Amino acid sequence: MKKKALRKDFYMEIRRSTGRFMSIFFIVAIGCAFFSGIRASEPDMRYSGDAYFDNRNMMDIEVISTLGLTDDDLQAIEDVDGIEAAEGGYSVDVLSSEGDNQIAVHVMSLLPSMNQVQLEDGRLPEAEDECAVDVDYLNESSLKIGDKITLSSGSDDEITDTLKTDTFTITGAVSSPNYISFQRGSTTIGNGSVTAFIVVPEKSFALDVYTEIYAQVDGAKEMTAFTDEYDDRVQEVIDKIEEIKDEREQIRYDEIVDEANEALEDARQQVTDAEKELEDGKAEAQAELADARQQLEDAQAEVDSGRQELESSKQQLESSRQQLKDSQAQVDQGQEELNANIDALNGQIDELNAAKEQYNALAASGATDDVTMATLNAMYEEIQKGESAVAQAQAQIDAAKAELESGQQQINSGWDQITQGEQKISDSEAQLADAEAEIADGWEEYYEGEAEAEQEIADGEQKIADAKEELADAEAEINDLEKPEWYIYDRSNLPDYTGYGENADRMRAIGEVFPAIFFLVAALISLTTMTRMVEEQRTLIGTLKALGYEKHSIAGKYLGYALLATVSGSVVGILFGEKVFPYIIINAYGIMYQHMHDIVIPYNLGYGLGAAAAALASTLLATILSCYKELREQAAELMRPPTPKQGQRVLLERAAFIWKRLNFSWKATIRNLVRYKKRLFMTIFGIGGCMALMLVGFGLKDSIFAIVDIQYGEIQLYDGNIILTDDATDEEKNNILTELDKDSAMTGSTEGLLTQISVGNGDEWHDVYLDVPKDVEEFSEFVVLQDRVTNEKYELDDSGAVLTEKMAKELDVKPGDTITIRDEDRGDLKVEISAVCENYMGHYLYMTPAYYEKVYGETPDYNSIFYKTADRITEEAERIGEEALAMPGTLSISYTTDLREQVDNMLGALDEVIVVLIISAGMLAFVVLYNLNNINITERQRELATLKVLGFYNGEVAMYVYRENIVLTILGAIFGIILGKILHGFIIVTVEIESVMFGRNIDLSSFVYGFLLTLLFSLLVNGAMYFKLKKINMVESLKSVE
Amino acid sequence: MKDFVKLQDITKIYKMGEVEIRAADNISFSIDKGEFVVIVGPSGAGKTTVLNILGGMDTATSGTLLVDGEEITAYNSRRLTEYRREDIGFVFQFYNLVPNLTALENVELALQICRDPLDAREVMEEVGLGDRLNNFPAQLSGGEQQRVSIARALAKNPKLLLCDEPTGALDYNTGKAILKLLQNMCRERGMTVIVITHNQAIAPMADRLIHIKNGQVSRMELNEHPMSIDDIEW
Repeated sequence: MKKKALRKDFYMEIRRSTGRFMSIFFIVAIGCAFFSGIRASEPDMRYSGDAYFDNRNMMDIEVISTLGLTDDDLQAIEDVDGIEAAEGGYSVDVLSSEGDNQIAVHVMSLLPSMNQVQLEDGRLPEAEDECAVDVDYLNESSLKIGDKITLSSGSDDEITDTLKTDTFTITGAVSSPNYISFQRGSTTIGNGSVTAFIVVPEKSFALDVYTEIYAQVDGAKEMTAFTDEYDDRVQEVIDKIEEIKDEREQIRYDEIVDEANEALEDARQQVTDAEKELEDGKAEAQAELADARQQLEDAQAEVDSGRQELESSKQQLESSRQQLKDSQAQVDQGQEELNANIDALNGQIDELNAAKEQYNALAASGATDDVTMATLNAMYEEIQKGESAVAQAQAQIDAAKAELESGQQQINSGWDQITQGEQKISDSEAQLADAEAEIADGWEEYYEGEAEAEQEIADGEQKIADAKEELADAEAEINDLEKPEWYIYDRSNLPDYTGYGENADRMRAIGEVFPAIFFLVAALISLTTMTRMVEEQRTLIGTLKALGYEKHSIAGKYLGYALLATVSGSVVGILFGEKVFPYIIINAYGIMYQHMHDIVIPYNLGYGLGAAAAALASTLLATILSCYKELREQAAELMRPPTPKQGQRVLLERAAFIWKRLNFSWKATIRNLVRYKKRLFMTIFGIGGCMALMLVGFGLKDSIFAIVDIQYGEIQLYDGNIILTDDATDEEKNNILTELDKDSAMTGSTEGLLTQISVGNGDEWHDVYLDVPKDVEEFSEFVVLQDRVTNEKYELDDSGAVLTEKMAKELDVKPGDTITIRDEDRGDLKVEISAVCENYMGHYLYMTPAYYEKVYGETPDYNSIFYKTADRITEEAERIGEEALAMPGTLSISYTTDLREQVDNMLGALDEVIVVLIISAGMLAFVVLYNLNNINITERQRELATLKVLGFYNGEVAMYVYRENIVLTILGAIFGIILGKILHGFIIVTVEIESVMFGRNIDLSSFVYGFLLTLLFSLLVNGAMYFKLKKINMVESLKSVE
Repeated sequence: MKDFVKLQDITKIYKMGEVEIRAADNISFSIDKGEFVVIVGPSGAGKTTVLNILGGMDTATSGTLLVDGEEITAYNSRRLTEYRREDIGFVFQFYNLVPNLTALENVELALQICRDPLDAREVMEEVGLGDRLNNFPAQLSGGEQQRVSIARALAKNPKLLLCDEPTGALDYNTGKAILKLLQNMCRERGMTVIVITHNQAIAPMADRLIHIKNGQVSRMELNEHPMSIDDIEW
């Protein structure tokens, strides 16, 4: 083909009409970008999720057994065809306390290679008493790395049965691929839901069997998670594990039974031995006791005889003492006599001396007369006699003195002897006392020994009795031992795992609706533009035809033009859209999946090619059709201006009373609108689409914001919930209630049973909270049960339970239907649903205590206290919570504000999506309006130029066009409101996450904002159009048609 | 009234890239009030340029245009619009009716913006379309459309009625009828009518005949005894 001229014309055409070319280019680019981008987000989410799980070497299959799993089990699973690797791990749910609050945590061992945790801070635990804690929990708790946490079992078992220690040092913060979002699963301890997880080294566990085995499936890693291919592959292998399950269960059962029996036998032997030992011990003890008694008694006898002897020596001593006293008296008497003798002697001596003096005086007188002489002689004689008598007396006295002295001597030595005797007596008395004390001690010891022996014997007997009982129990237990049950799960058993896949599905749902609208508009626009182009070039086509060019050569130009614009637009749009939109969306979801950092956004050629093909098809088809229409005509016909479109009467003219009242310009406007029907619909569709998208954007926000206010302002009127410990006594409960009542901020409290249960309809199972209020009357002050639409209030009664709306929908149940509660102990229980009530956060099943009793066969064990505060603010609720926590019997507190936070998190994720929506909507509106107006103006250039010639001011000319745009904008907005409402209804249900129901409302303000924004876009475009209108050159436009 | 319209050295230069085209080159002439003026010249001579400048649709590069004593060339774009609105009636070769409005409404379209209009129906009767008031342009023949176009121009009661090849797209008889209508309007209403044509044959019906060639007035002649269109054959 050597049609150089044509080719040149083609390039010139593009250069000359850059605006048109670009407008097709951009609208196709935006359309394709949005279409392929949003649609690609779905697979990209799966790829990203898959990449994350692959990077963390995530398991595919988890096997749990009720009786633990052995190394043999591990080997057996590893040997299953299709299993690439298997690893055993340990885990246990325990309670951990932070301050007064006790939370349930899931402790799991670090696996050798699978389910690798992501270290967010610190280091991984290495020693037995080290752990790494859930980073999400660590961030919001008061704990930090380096702190110690203490765990307790939360049940009757000792924690040391499972873990080697109960105190762990936090060495790091981690995230785990087992917990990709906020949920941590449920448990049977504490308040029923796990708050955090903890990882510890394998050696921290004291268990001798694994609690679970993780396995990876051959080839599963190469597949993309969340796809049917992956699910099927894993299911295939699960089926194979199911095949070995029975055998393994039996082996484990036998093993346990054998082991137990052996142990039982041992124990029995031990008991028998112990019994014998006890008997021996008893005899021995009795003998020993008898000996001891004998000894003591002998000692007592000795002491008694000693005491008797002592008594007699005391008597002897007493009599000696009497004798001595007598002798002393004799000696004293002798002494007295002696003294009297001495006195008499002294008198004699004095007489003698007086006689001597008389003698001497007589003698001295010299008288020798006889008488004198005789007297002297007589006197002398008498003196002589006196002197000898004195001497004699003196001798007697001396003898008596000597006698007395020896007597005294004897007495003194007698006293000495007595003193010695006394000393001896007191010595022996002391000895006796000692001996007696010893004997008393001996008795005491004896009695103690006896009591001890008796106690020991009793204890021993008790122990033996206990042991016997235990043996019996153990025997019974062995007999009762149920066969272990293996539970084989795939990844969907992990909390939030399925949610991620569901989010991807949601993205697909959004991707099927939104981009479709967007794309449709884009296709329509490029279609209009191409049609217009062909129409404009009518004369050229005619000329070429007249010159003898074949139809295909002529059409080729337009097809080429459309092709080039569309293909380049698609390519740019797809290259951009498939990277940017998935990135934004996956990033937005990153708020929910905070630790999944892997973003994989490959080009999904399928969507891209689909979008490009559709865009190409629609523009090419439009071009072909309009070319065909033109080419069909004769060349001569084509050279003439097209027969102008007929003006026609509109329906409204028939309503003369309205029509007459209409201002002239309005008549023209209305006729114009009706005349250009294609443009009318295009514009309405474009503006409507824009309005609808924005309405959905705003509406999503409304619906999500609304739930917080409705949920906590109208439905759940309580601010906190005190979870009691399992063993809290009534007294403790009352204590808490009365204590809390003292707080002025507290305006009410009521007891209830709140526990997480699993309900289902036979096909699917979901976790809900069972809420049984103790006081049904009072309950309505805490939770309002009502119909969302009619606002009809429901009362709890004994005929059935009330289920919350979202769960009712999930399970597809209506009032009057029956659902099943799956209870671990009691099996499946049937519950009749009497009403379905409005609720947005979480799922609840409400029933009266009487109905509970009917269902469960026992009275409810109230485990929680709901309370509300006067001002309903967080601080008050938390203060009361803290008060309650300080009291015995309280396990933990949950605040409604915590739930609000969850909503905020979700909102964050959606916020960005909404912004994307609104910006896209704005761009769409702008491009559509600009393009259509542009076409409108070129199409009617003559008409507008005529108006100008007639002397219409620029403003008046603009108004002539604007009037139509205003009407179209308003009509479009109305259409958009309807479309938006429908779309919103669809989207809101689609984007809901499982545990939450969003509102179904759109606020009035959103309608207003959406409308105003649409108007604003419209105004902007009209503003831009004003200059275009002003530039219309009368002379050029009205030149006779060439 | 002498010199009701006066052009003095009107020059219009179009710049097409590097090339300058002198569409009007020092054109000067005057027209009296109530005259029926025919401007003739070959294609591309600059007739339309002159008419456009006269009608305020285009501005002269230099020179002055006085209409009824007002210096139109000094007007800004808004005053020009006002001038078109109040003082000028235009009749085009291709009628330029608004296809979406009925014949009557097309006339009314012009009237609603001007200060002192005639009654639309009367004017329509006058142009002989009293029974086609509610037809859309597409339902009318070329001649009828041109009548509507004339009616639209007349109803504004303009000072000047400018007609650019009014018969160009019409057959002989219809063309004649249209010209007759224009002549009658001029005679009966005393309206100043300027008709552009390349058809020399109708020259005798003009009070004043202006020949334009290569953007310049080559000749101007006054016709003391204009012929009636009925007497002219071509």
